[in-house]
Amino acid sequence: MGMFGGAYNTIAFDANKCDGCGDCMTACATAKTGTVDQSRSRIQIVGSADEGFELALCRQCADPKCVTVCPAAALTKNYASGVIDWNADKCVDCLLCTVGCAYAGIALDAGTGHVAKCDTCDGAPACVPACPHDALTYVTTSRIYNEVGDWEDLFAPGLAGCQGCNTELLMRHTLRRVGPDTVLATPPGCVPGMGSVGFNGTTGTKIPVFHPLLTNTAAMLAGVKRQYKRVGRDVTALAIAGDGGASDVGFQSLSGAAERNEQILFMVVDNEGYMNTGMQRSSCTPYGAWTSTTPIGKGPGNIPSQGKTQDAKNLPLIMVNHRCEYVATASTAYMDDLYDKLDKAIQASKRGFAYLHVYSPCTTGWRFPTDQNMEVARKAVETNFVMLWEYNPTDGLHFTRPVDDPLPVTEYLKAMGRFRHLSPDQVSHIQSKVVENLAFVKQMAHREAI
Amino acid sequence: MSASTLEKPSAPAPARQKVMLVEGNEAAALGVALARPDMVAVYPITPQSSLVEHVAKLIADGKMDADIVDAEGEHSVLSVLQGGALAGARTYTATCGPGLAFMFEPYFRTSGMRLPIVMSIVTRDGITPQSVWGGHQDAMTVREVGWVQVYCETVQEVLDTTIMAFKIAEHHDVMLPVNVCLDGNYLSYGTSRVELPNQKDVDAFMGAKDVNWHVALDPLRPMAVDPLTGGSGGKGPSTFVRYRKGQCKGMQNSLRVIEEIHEEWAQRFGRRFAPLVEEYRLDGADYAIMTLGSMTGAAKDAIDEARDAGRKVGLIKIKTFSPFPVEALLKSLNKIQALGVVDRSVGFRWNCGPMYQETMGVLYRLGRHIPSMSFIGGLAGADITVGHFHRVIEATEKLLSNPAPIEPVWLNEKD
Repeated sequence: MGMFGGAYNTIAFDANKCDGCGDCMTACATAKTGTVDQSRSRIQIVGSADEGFELALCRQCADPKCVTVCPAAALTKNYASGVIDWNADKCVDCLLCTVGCAYAGIALDAGTGHVAKCDTCDGAPACVPACPHDALTYVTTSRIYNEVGDWEDLFAPGLAGCQGCNTELLMRHTLRRVGPDTVLATPPGCVPGMGSVGFNGTTGTKIPVFHPLLTNTAAMLAGVKRQYKRVGRDVTALAIAGDGGASDVGFQSLSGAAERNEQILFMVVDNEGYMNTGMQRSSCTPYGAWTSTTPIGKGPGNIPSQGKTQDAKNLPLIMVNHRCEYVATASTAYMDDLYDKLDKAIQASKRGFAYLHVYSPCTTGWRFPTDQNMEVARKAVETNFVMLWEYNPTDGLHFTRPVDDPLPVTEYLKAMGRFRHLSPDQVSHIQSKVVENLAFVKQMAHREAI
Repeated sequence: MSASTLEKPSAPAPARQKVMLVEGNEAAALGVALARPDMVAVYPITPQSSLVEHVAKLIADGKMDADIVDAEGEHSVLSVLQGGALAGARTYTATCGPGLAFMFEPYFRTSGMRLPIVMSIVTRDGITPQSVWGGHQDAMTVREVGWVQVYCETVQEVLDTTIMAFKIAEHHDVMLPVNVCLDGNYLSYGTSRVELPNQKDVDAFMGAKDVNWHVALDPLRPMAVDPLTGGSGGKGPSTFVRYRKGQCKGMQNSLRVIEEIHEEWAQRFGRRFAPLVEEYRLDGADYAIMTLGSMTGAAKDAIDEARDAGRKVGLIKIKTFSPFPVEALLKSLNKIQALGVVDRSVGFRWNCGPMYQETMGVLYRLGRHIPSMSFIGGLAGADITVGHFHRVIEATEKLLSNPAPIEPVWLNEKD
């Protein structure tokens, strides 16, 4: 338990679903004041500048300004519940807190003459079920911060990734979640390149870790897992592999292990090429991308070389067609989504093959500034260049973060140098492939759901 | 093919052994079952297929308690076993020819990680020309990769050696993978009488399993397995050198261990096989022919006939090919004045048989010159008959008075 306690619950608001009906305010006023006076509700729905609605409600901040500015210590952060408690006995009605809060989450209640704020109704907020459009949800927040911070970091400090690489983040979070009763396979690539297996007698990992060959990760892990199963020990067999080894030369062993439903959690960190060996093309490299083996040049016969000439192989969809226990795509820009999928993948790997495909922008190989990794990852999702979904044989495939109003793919492409040479024709090819891929996965989601 | 029972055992007779009529592949499977591996990974390939079918049936019938992995290819077969061994499993597989070639990447690595995996090679000639028939080209091609490789002469020797191989591999002074080579066609499908050791006696012979004491993937004793070594600076190169030197030492240690374990086998089970080099009617011989594997049976018959006809010829058979038994072979070569070496595969670089090539190195250490020549026969399943061996004997005898030919003799060229 960290200093901020367990995971906190709060009320989330989806502005796209809100029509401003005010039912939530009525419910709150009823619960808290015994009246139907919406002005006394702790939750306020107000019109916004762009014709939609905004939420004025206490966010139960982790670093609450209202608490800081209160001169009477009437507001305190409750580290057990996460709620910011207001103590009427201490309050001097100075209203400084209402100025301090950026969310209009605490305001004067004219009916009492004191400030009032949301206390989440002790975990059963009246406003949430009152909303007829599901615009309000009662959700757990800070879960990663609160839970993961207490789990042991199973990598040594100072892994040697490129500046701005998100893979160290991914590795540390994944290992913290999976825990020490794990055998970790990191086939040749960026992950061992960072020193996870180590060099000349040192290692960066606190659990059993090994280099499989680039080709046999899933097969070696299958052997490890089967022997522990045979002797009755619960050991998680985890691979953190690159896209090249998984989709190209290691695909046979991956496919074989998936077909045999080996009890493995196989995570692919997809940076769309052989980045550790110098940014060469893999089958996961997207169309048009510069790599060191699809370079840009005048080309033979006046036909310019303009990057990769084929579209990327969609490895996670291929894994769906193995009917694995669990398949999902994820992105480090959406850590809650990733964690949710990691939890499911760990559970699935106790039954059979679980596959997690994490899109992982490469600052060095994709050529973008080192502080832009999350932004590039986010843009990939917001343009539907990649899609976040999950699959299991019972529930089929469904999107976990559908993007209903995607940005044009150029918003993604222009974020990095590997696409800077693209011709208008190439850009429109990529945009049409985005549309086509989305339609294909949607069809699959529909079909799998039947 | 005669069982090489050279002398009577000195130990008390073992428990009664069941007598069976089996092909070599089934004998290997029965040996595997008696050695009680935890994990078997299989992928079928001619002429190995009936071996893994027998293993699968033994497991399906509950006569063998092992996890069987039907992998999607030989590359994964060996990789699964590497993972299993690193988690403490006793492991086994079998392959040959193109399967061995496909397996090469993890094959090379198995000896480097010092994993005591046992693998039968049901030897098959190399393609191309396309062929599914026996020959030693597959095993010979990988003779320089740090696996112990022993070749069997009879079906009984296949059974017994398969069991011994696990003990050799897991010996703490060895800790290396072992290939038990049995000739495709001739031993794989050759049906013979065998005596099946009693399980209790084999258990006592094998002792406790201790597979991954030196390297493990185990959360109870976490370690990084096979981190990067080498580079031009720091302690990297010396780390690599010490690993390699250790592998070579393990190979040399195996020569002693193979002898000890064959001796223990003879004591416990009453069957004595020459562990490294077998001499047959070599005493009093002026010259000798040298053989490997199942061809030796016909060769011994030819030697008997030649001796009866007054020729002073003997036979040297290699059982342990890797590591090459230099000292043991020197003792045998010291007894003769000329040598003809019969290979069941070719050495492309030297235009001779691979065993002949290896033997030339030993001849250099002999300190005196004896003439020798190379014979190549039995390729792609061809039979090396007693008649062929008479040609070998006659040609070798001529070395005593005539210059040795540089070119090899191709035995089945005009069959």
